[in-house]
Amino acid sequence: MNPEVPNPNRVLVIDDSESIHKLVIARLRPEGLEVIGEVDGERGIERAVADQPDLILLDIGLPNVDGFEVCRRLKEHPATRGIPVIFLTGTADTESKVRGLDLGAVDYVTKPFDQVELRARVRAALRAKRLQDILEQQSHLDGLTGLWNRRYLDQRLESELNVARRYGRPLSLVLVDVDHFKRVNDDYGHLFGDIVLQGIAEGLRAYARRSDIVARYGGEEFAILLTDTNLRSAMYVSERLRSSAESRHFEARTEVVNVTASFGVACTEDLAAELTPEALLKASDLALYASKDAGRNCVHLYRSGELLLATGNPLALGSDGGEGH
Amino acid sequence: MRQVQMGPIRSTYEDDPDMLEIVREFAAELPARVAKLESHLAAGELRDLQTLAHQLKGAGGGYGFPTITELAASLESALKQGADDAVVKDRAAALCATLRAVVVPGAP
Repeated sequence: MNPEVPNPNRVLVIDDSESIHKLVIARLRPEGLEVIGEVDGERGIERAVADQPDLILLDIGLPNVDGFEVCRRLKEHPATRGIPVIFLTGTADTESKVRGLDLGAVDYVTKPFDQVELRARVRAALRAKRLQDILEQQSHLDGLTGLWNRRYLDQRLESELNVARRYGRPLSLVLVDVDHFKRVNDDYGHLFGDIVLQGIAEGLRAYARRSDIVARYGGEEFAILLTDTNLRSAMYVSERLRSSAESRHFEARTEVVNVTASFGVACTEDLAAELTPEALLKASDLALYASKDAGRNCVHLYRSGELLLATGNPLALGSDGGEGH
Repeated sequence: MRQVQMGPIRSTYEDDPDMLEIVREFAAELPARVAKLESHLAAGELRDLQTLAHQLKGAGGGYGFPTITELAASLESALKQGADDAVVKDRAAALCATLRAVVVPGAP
């Protein structure tokens, strides 16, 4: 999965009156928005979690669970916290408005609403949401390579491990380290080093699968999280990535420079230890070090405490060590 | 209930092509709402009456019927304040009369 452009804007209306739904749909049509609706607070929250609208228009006077309570719960739920809420209020009293805004709503519209005002307020809320989305995505991206950053990978590792544990599905983690990167930097300069990192990143992104989460983990190290993937499949993906890195050439002044990378692969299914982010990272890291020790430019697997050479640099076969780190 | 006679009431949004269809739907459903209002009133179901008034208050103006919003708001506030039966009946009658006077816009 790679950073993507957000979908067309979707607005969820939670109001017990169908007449209001129809009215909002008609009034927002010129804005080119997708409008969905629920007449009940509970259902509204479920819909917001499932459909991830960009904006919620929320009636205060809902039967059963009232609008204030719905708002409070939307702001508590991690999946809906970031969605702006505009209150639709039947009464223009200050107390309701203040209470709604204090609960985290961005705005309110008084029913019966003026169409021009409704559109303007919806546009303003969506504008702010768009900026917020961009900021959020940028805070998860690595500036140099455009890959996900370490913070994002750590978050996903945690949540994907939960999924893996709950449903008994395999999760693999590949750590990648560019070989002799310090030497590349020293010989050709940091600017060239950056170009190399960008090139390697591009290769990882191009040759990973759509569902793989490719991140720059720091310095010259990358990490790839492979959901629903066992050790064997992760090994094939890694080998494809390794050989793509190997065949990539970088031009430095008059020279053509070849850069390789070492890979370490671990999978939850083959982990001897408990399924924690640390345990999976450590296993991948041990496998990566085995690749370094074996002469680099190869893929090692961690399997129940054992480190196995998967593929790669044939020079490493039978040798007990490379030229040092 | 006291019947109040009124001249025909038309939506101020009848000429808005975005609105015509839903105004027609809204107007066509009003007789059913009148029936509900009257039956809740007759049965003394004041909470249900208040909910109906609240919904009409919110929707009326949006469909181009500011009078509906105004009269529904006055009925809702009487119910909220626990006003005398006579006041509630009067205001409900005024609202129903207005709802009855609404003209369903013709087909395009």
